[in-house]
Amino acid sequence: MSINDKIKELVIEWETERLKEYCQSILNNNEATASSLLKIIGDIMKFVGKQFEEEEIFLPELIGSAETVKVTIDEVLDPAIRAAGEEKETMGKVVIGTVESDVHSIGKDLVGSFLFSNGFEVYNLGVEVTADQFISKAEEVGADIIGLSSLLTMSMDFQKQVIVELKKRGVRDKYKVIVGGSPTSEDWAEQIGADGWADDAIETITLVKKLLNIS
Amino acid sequence: MKLRKLEVLSKEEIETITSSALRILETIGIKIDDEKTRKICEEKGAIIDEKSSFVKFPENITKDLLKLVPESFKLHGPDGSFNFEVNTKTTQFATIGTPVRIYDPLGKNKLKKSVLDDTIQQIRVVDSLKNVNCSHIDVWPSDVKFTAVHAHCLYQWAKNTKKPYGLGCLGKLPSQDMMNITSLIVGGEEELIKRPRLVGFMNPTSPLQLPKLMTNGLEVFAKYKQPTIVAPEALAGTTAPVTLAGLLAQTCAEIIGGIILAQVFSPISPVFFGTVSCATDMRSGNSALGAIESSLITIGIAQIARYYNIPSRGPGGVTESKCFDVQNGFERFSTMSLAAQAGINYITCAGTYESSLAEALELLVIDDELAGLVKRAMEGINVNEDTIAIDIIKKVATSEQKGTNFLGESHTRKYMHKELYIPKLIDRGRRSTWKKKGSKDIIERAREKVDQVLADYQPYELAKDIDTQLLTFIKEIEARPIELYMKAEGISGGSVNITGTEITLEKS
Repeated sequence: MSINDKIKELVIEWETERLKEYCQSILNNNEATASSLLKIIGDIMKFVGKQFEEEEIFLPELIGSAETVKVTIDEVLDPAIRAAGEEKETMGKVVIGTVESDVHSIGKDLVGSFLFSNGFEVYNLGVEVTADQFISKAEEVGADIIGLSSLLTMSMDFQKQVIVELKKRGVRDKYKVIVGGSPTSEDWAEQIGADGWADDAIETITLVKKLLNIS
Repeated sequence: MKLRKLEVLSKEEIETITSSALRILETIGIKIDDEKTRKICEEKGAIIDEKSSFVKFPENITKDLLKLVPESFKLHGPDGSFNFEVNTKTTQFATIGTPVRIYDPLGKNKLKKSVLDDTIQQIRVVDSLKNVNCSHIDVWPSDVKFTAVHAHCLYQWAKNTKKPYGLGCLGKLPSQDMMNITSLIVGGEEELIKRPRLVGFMNPTSPLQLPKLMTNGLEVFAKYKQPTIVAPEALAGTTAPVTLAGLLAQTCAEIIGGIILAQVFSPISPVFFGTVSCATDMRSGNSALGAIESSLITIGIAQIARYYNIPSRGPGGVTESKCFDVQNGFERFSTMSLAAQAGINYITCAGTYESSLAEALELLVIDDELAGLVKRAMEGINVNEDTIAIDIIKKVATSEQKGTNFLGESHTRKYMHKELYIPKLIDRGRRSTWKKKGSKDIIERAREKVDQVLADYQPYELAKDIDTQLLTFIKEIEARPIELYMKAEGISGGSVNITGTEITLEKS
């Protein structure tokens, strides 16, 4: 079985530990570089994303696969790339989370997994994320995009607060801010001065690529 | 998991109804039109009144004959590769109806007269379905000669599906044709008898009559051991008492009459304890298959069939609606769901509407999905340590990462498809996604599925010599004059020698 097929099997079977061990052994034996393994995983996740888009697999399969590979990337491949003094290839860095006073997670998890499947580096901060937490993380990782999710009319205003806070700190122009969630809309995004709004995970990819001038 | 079957009768009430049915058969009897059949019954101990044609079956004879009925049997497709068991425990879904029209959005009243091409398409669509496992002559081909419909349909069945097929056992000569044609297709009579391919349907006429054409056909089906559905369509208030208990007693006598006749013709003949009895629409006199009382009848018959350990057949997915409206939806789902919950073993009529007089391939694929929902419902809730999942609840609920959910848990993946039926046609997504896909309703989505199935369809190949023989035989059947049928069935004077390839029926 080729390295590609083996990794694909482990990803699809959600074999988190075995994937980590397998990639580590490949690196130890100098069978492939961390960058090339990252590329293989990226292609597999693109395939998984496509399957989800075409309704051949379902939410748990998409999110589970993404969570499986994330552990290997964070714990094996990223450290190896850094150790080799290489730059990790990425489509862009996205900090994503659900805003303050809102605990809805599924929508932004789906968007996060989908971005990740499409080659973006995703920092998912979870739910009830404060403006300070969003900005600190974005500053720390050098993000390109900040994605703000809100599923409640009552929490929508916190999307605006993040933008206000970015401006207050003088870093608004460093990031593209995108918003989403069922009560939000394109008009709302414009009203609060966000850079974009997307209706679902698939549209988010198009939007982010457009904002980052990726063809 | 404790799933109780839906019941409308207590044990004592089942006893009361069945003993009433046996009393009907013993004291009133059942009218058997065919003289020769009456004689055969007399030889078995029945008492005949030649003047009225009523045949009375003493209770002990009825009970002895009922003991011969198999509790289960298998049905196979043309090449035998697809098969399923019909028994008193499981539920199978099938078509059946009498549609002479098929949905056509451009036609007058959105209907057109059905033709052989429609028959073929219906067989192909059923072949592609997950839950509907058997098709029957549902879509009547109006463009072939009436007396050769069975031959054309069987030829198309062999070329277009891996699933079994059903036909009305309407007459001795056509039924023998069916056996001869199917024997050719499957490689001989012995194979056909050993592994049945065809479901026959035999409908007693209510009240208490077994028509000549039907008993003529039943005799052939019984001799070839092809499972036959004995199912009267009694209407409460018109052809049976308006009281549902009275209807049940009468129709049980009719069903049992047909079932024991099959055993008289050929012991251990597989049969279904069937019903398609329903309420009468008291405004028009029409049948009301979708009425809630019709489901009560179906549930009662399911209980009585279980009492006798005979597989039951009942209608589901039936409606009187003439269009694709809410009535069509709620009647088809309530009749299907109630029949399944009652434990009917063979639920029929998928794809039909307008009292099963019209067919829509769109409804057929929707019914397949409804059957999936219903099957899921019947599986109930599976309770054990792993499904209660305390460890997973703890892991997710106490995760340090806020907003963690169960989606990415292996437990979710392990049980997702078992616990949640994931439909293909039913829309549960977001409005924006629905709009992006063209704001289509379920009928439009179903049409797309039908179009896809038909576009991708690859017919099955028949061996060249078999194909030639079948076509020659069809031509012979088409060339027969109608008078020959009338003679063969004993409708007019004279007789016809009807032969199988090996089994020869007695000459009439």
